[in-house]
Amino acid sequence: MSNVVVTGFGCLGAYGLGQDALRSALAAGSPLRSDVDRSASYHRRGSSETVASCGELSFEPWLSEDAGRRMSDLSQFAVTSARMALHDAGLEEIPKERTAVAIATAFGPGGFTERLALQVLQKGGKFASPFLFTDCVANAAAGQIAIAIGARGANTTICQREAGPLLAIAQAAQDLELGRADVCLAGAIDELKPLSHAILDRFRAVARPRDGEELPRPFDARRNGYLAGEGGAVLVLEREDHARARGATVLARVRASARGFDPTAPRTGLGRGHEDLAALLRDRIGPELLAETDTVVSAGSGSVHGDALEARILQRALPHAPRVLTPKAVTGEFGGGTLAPAILALQGADFAAPVGCNQPDPALEVRLESGPVRAQRLLCSAHGAGGVSAWILFEQP
Amino acid sequence: MSEQVVVTGIGSVSGLGATAEQLWQRALRGERGVRDLDLFSTDTHRTRLAVPVDDASLPERFAHLARADRFGCTATAAATANAGLPAEALRSARAGVFFGSSTGALFEGERFLKELLAEREGDLHSIVGLQNDGPGTAVAKEFAVRGPVMTFSTACTSANVALGAALDALRSGEIDVAIAGGSDELCEITYAGFNSLRAIDANPTRPFRADRAGLSMGEGSGVLLLETRSHAEARGATILAELCGAARSCDAQHVSAPDPEGIGAATAIEEALREGGLTAADVTFVNAHGTGTPHNDVSESHAMRRVFGDRTQSLPITSTKSMVGHLLGAAGGIEAVLTVQSIVHRMLPPTAGDTPADPELGLDVVVDAPRELPEHNVGLSTNLAFGGNNAVVLLRSVS
Repeated sequence: MSNVVVTGFGCLGAYGLGQDALRSALAAGSPLRSDVDRSASYHRRGSSETVASCGELSFEPWLSEDAGRRMSDLSQFAVTSARMALHDAGLEEIPKERTAVAIATAFGPGGFTERLALQVLQKGGKFASPFLFTDCVANAAAGQIAIAIGARGANTTICQREAGPLLAIAQAAQDLELGRADVCLAGAIDELKPLSHAILDRFRAVARPRDGEELPRPFDARRNGYLAGEGGAVLVLEREDHARARGATVLARVRASARGFDPTAPRTGLGRGHEDLAALLRDRIGPELLAETDTVVSAGSGSVHGDALEARILQRALPHAPRVLTPKAVTGEFGGGTLAPAILALQGADFAAPVGCNQPDPALEVRLESGPVRAQRLLCSAHGAGGVSAWILFEQP
Repeated sequence: MSEQVVVTGIGSVSGLGATAEQLWQRALRGERGVRDLDLFSTDTHRTRLAVPVDDASLPERFAHLARADRFGCTATAAATANAGLPAEALRSARAGVFFGSSTGALFEGERFLKELLAEREGDLHSIVGLQNDGPGTAVAKEFAVRGPVMTFSTACTSANVALGAALDALRSGEIDVAIAGGSDELCEITYAGFNSLRAIDANPTRPFRADRAGLSMGEGSGVLLLETRSHAEARGATILAELCGAARSCDAQHVSAPDPEGIGAATAIEEALREGGLTAADVTFVNAHGTGTPHNDVSESHAMRRVFGDRTQSLPITSTKSMVGHLLGAAGGIEAVLTVQSIVHRMLPPTAGDTPADPELGLDVVVDAPRELPEHNVGLSTNLAFGGNNAVVLLRSVS
């Protein structure tokens, strides 16, 4: 059994700042849509029109406006989420040499990268801004967390699309188990700019208008893509002995993890390797633990092929059909869309039925449930475009 | 005691050639791959030199992929062949891919964006690897692995972080075989970005030299085929070296500059030694990060002194970036390949350059000619990066 536990978390997204805002959004069940900015003319006619954007979110008191101005959106999301997480864990002082950071990001700082690209490609190489360049590497956000809190342990950034967040949790748990750190801030941060959204649309990943409305419809017969989102979710992980010694409240245990690859997946989509992935999941986590899993915080997002893959894996690996939650229908894909809801699902949060999901796909057969949830053992799953899958099994401490 | 992890195959693509053998022979001679960059126009850039890969030298097998993906797959195919590993051994949940990349297919992404800005549709297929996971995912797909696949993007330490993650996965028993390393490609954004920091030397880079003035950017891939020792021995593989330690740390000081005192880098080296069950006295040579920027080389020399003390002055150290350039997220990969070759051939390539080593650094820099190494070696390969990131790996001879 893993002795790594969750002692706090911070989150932000289109729902606003913090756990209460997320809790309210999940209880309402409505997708947090806003109109995508089409002013740069990156979008084609008939393309997706909505995103789950953080908009002009203020990060006070976690990050001052002055400090934020010197960072990309991604770094601002990261530092804010990390500070919220430490506060929630009661860790105002961290063991700096023994604190690690493991962050996943799918796109990195897309806004800074686009601005830098426009400087270089439109004006010329000599016009590149050093300020933009240094904060446009993918690991700048994790580095900014380290600088903000003084964390001098391992600092890791994982880029594996939608699977990254759970891979980051597994990486952090491993570093703690191997005694490389006493505290690890782990999670996912994403910013979504119009250019990234327009490219996702060209790959037919995001939902488009259908029957007069553009909705993410996980596991629904009418699903045609996900709601692309942005935000951050950072968990504080510790070994249980460290957490108990400082009198921390333990929110969850990271019981087990699994990860695998489906080579049938196209580079920008998901494949048909559900048999192999389900076998790998059973092998790595164990059929007994899976049989005692009562809740799945699902990768289900409205993705045509992704939801089918998810359903078929669940049918094979968890044939007892535990309840399935689909928080990405509210928060959107990216930005740690399942991590914070998973911890809330262990704490009695209310999950409303997602709006627009009233025609379940009969081929998928997942048990979607709504209402208050206090999971005892919960499987969080993720499937990244390109073929990487990851799972984390959380349980009550 | 966890199982030993061994290197049974190496592969590389770089400005010194499309094979690891070409890389080694040219590195021994201290040849520089630096030349005028023709991948894109340098007319609007501050400098014009780099160490690009000659695409015409690459096999056609992966020509359908973005350049960074192609480099990674070519190096992987070579590493697999070098290891004599049958393709079926990779098509398993007991095989994984651990890759580092900091650009993905950004060169192709720039072309796509130019088309968009001109209100034309670009080639969508060319950017399927645009995100940083591009090369690692391409390798996983082309070689049909079914186990863990992870891409690390920690700027210039990415591949060393990937090597460490592969080591963990093999030691834990999760897998038997791992493809580990990194791949990156040159593009205008990173070229202009490093120039904006005045980090690129207008002349060929001269790491550890008194007149050093910056780096030369490179591109390519370096890949190790790693196995548990029992797996390698069971199939009768030739073992080239052991990957015996890896560690990471963070300076937590500045988003782009290294800690001038080298404290974080020293911490990573000491942690890798501890995990590998070694002491500083066991290390016989260093393949340094050695970018050739004034600040990096000073920081790194301080890190060496913190770990090796007075021995720093007699511990052979080289920077192979002087020849292949700085491969960014793939730097750790190609430097691991060269470190393995140094162990196998008991020779350490020189740091290319025509001027004297900087005496202020207090290092035993290998210059002019390769240095002969003892029979048994422990090689340290270091990388430092933006974000205050430090990652090191240790490789040693196997008896």
